[in-house]
Amino acid sequence: MVTSLPYFAFIAVPALAALACPFAARIKPRYADILANTALAVGLLTALSFIPEIAKPLTLQAWNMGTGLSVFNNDVFSLLMLITVYMVALCTAFYSIFHEMPDGRRGVWNALILVCAAAMCGVAAARDFFTLYVFVEVTAVASYALIAFEDRRESTEGALKYFFLTAPASTFIVLGVALLMLYTGGTSFGHLAQAMSSSGAGDSAVAIILGVMACGFMVKAGLVPFHGWTPDAYQSAPAPVSALLSGVVTKAAGVYALIRIALALRVIYPAHAANAVGQALMFFGALSIVIGALGAVYQRDFKRMLAFSSISQVGYIVLAAGAGTPLALAGALFHLFNHATFKTALFLNSAAVEKQTGTTDMRKLGGLEARMPWTALTSNIAILSTAGIPPLSGFWSKLIIIVALWKAGLQSYAAIAIFASVLTLAYFILMQSRVFFGKTPEHLAKVSEARAGMLLPPILLAAVMIAIGFYFPLLFSNLVEPAAKAFL
Amino acid sequence: MLENMLPNLYLNWFFAALLVFSGIYCMLVSRNLLRLIIGVELLSKAAILALVACGQAMGNLGLAQSIAITMIVLEVVVVAVGLGLVVRAYRQTGSVDMWKFDRLKG
Repeated sequence: MVTSLPYFAFIAVPALAALACPFAARIKPRYADILANTALAVGLLTALSFIPEIAKPLTLQAWNMGTGLSVFNNDVFSLLMLITVYMVALCTAFYSIFHEMPDGRRGVWNALILVCAAAMCGVAAARDFFTLYVFVEVTAVASYALIAFEDRRESTEGALKYFFLTAPASTFIVLGVALLMLYTGGTSFGHLAQAMSSSGAGDSAVAIILGVMACGFMVKAGLVPFHGWTPDAYQSAPAPVSALLSGVVTKAAGVYALIRIALALRVIYPAHAANAVGQALMFFGALSIVIGALGAVYQRDFKRMLAFSSISQVGYIVLAAGAGTPLALAGALFHLFNHATFKTALFLNSAAVEKQTGTTDMRKLGGLEARMPWTALTSNIAILSTAGIPPLSGFWSKLIIIVALWKAGLQSYAAIAIFASVLTLAYFILMQSRVFFGKTPEHLAKVSEARAGMLLPPILLAAVMIAIGFYFPLLFSNLVEPAAKAFL
Repeated sequence: MLENMLPNLYLNWFFAALLVFSGIYCMLVSRNLLRLIIGVELLSKAAILALVACGQAMGNLGLAQSIAITMIVLEVVVVAVGLGLVVRAYRQTGSVDMWKFDRLKG
């Protein structure tokens, strides 16, 4: 018996809380904070409580071809997405309690975060490309408003760039949906699987449909040829929003759909990944890994460097998804979750640095380890995890991805992944030495550690990274292996 | 039935492609933010036309129309937010020139 995830509650609770937020803020601005945090915390705990039911008895189905009538997804992938969404949104909402803004705007701020979370849960629930598109657009609209929330010229610039690059991308998604409807008569994932397994539409038709859609989703995910908006939006957004954008928004809006497409390809061409769309995903993933990492080396702004690092890490996820073997897909999901933990921690720490020192320009920073020990500690753990240093969570997901690529006979891509992980370490060591290590310059001598509440989310996320790293064998046999088997 | 519909479909897709081209051209050549938004609008009109044309060719016009109406609603929301951004851009820079926004680079 399959336990169904209560998607309606997952979507409706944050959405209703978002409606209530402005009214609560009118009574007292802090009520909006309390409301948002409560709604998201309850959601996170509920999602976590479903782990034993969904993950253990192997009820997950990769593509649910037989049960085309069921409305929602019920697999580990969607559950993982829900947990990630609620985790990052809760960290963002909790952090923004301490983020300075005019009291009159707290209601709107929290409402936007809740709308974003609700829409991303909708993305995880969708079994239909058009539903997916609808929720992706709602997520995007909430993020435009969040990026431009502070009345600064840079924020407007970041939001405009995001808008003008991703709005045409949505059009391409819809064009792909139209083509899918032309060939199959419907827009659901099941229709796509049917079209691919029957001989009705040839391989080239499937490749065109998925290619057009994948173009749109790659813009939304910020992969390399389409990454123009990513650094600008991340750099100019208010710091908690950067964490939300990098942690889940790009994943929910782009990477999730790309992995779903890869899963579809997996069902149809199980023997090998030699189809055009899978090849293209792998190529653009590898390109993102290398160019994102090379771009990060040259950055002078803390947040901008993190943005390029995000591009590079999303590249890992898409490269693994494109390879399409069960192990690679499991690695992609695992890295998706890990990236959400470490990049959220890093962006929140960059926010703390910005708040305490007034700048994110790395030329003006230095020696903060002595002044902000906890921020430095959690940043270092996150950095080491991103770079793939053994006991931490990032090492295991990268290892799975590289091993899976190697086993799939894609040695050159595996080599690129290993090489780029050295580059990751290189730019993060640059960042560490510029921001946290060395002698404290005089103008930073009076900087103090951030407030305890601001430190809490990064510390918890660092604990998650360490825990996943040490308990990995347990996690592997209970979550990753079943997932890999289920994709077979 | 499909045979009768197909020439219609080709014609509709021709116009959809024309709209996509005009939208992309409009976004590429103009610096004015409002014209860029008009380009986005043209692109989404192309997508709606393509959806309805595909629905008609499949004999499933009901689904296509409901999807198209949902998309129109969404697109209005997206454009409203975009116009809000343009208004803010005008307040901050005193013009609607995209090239005034060149502070973020590197």
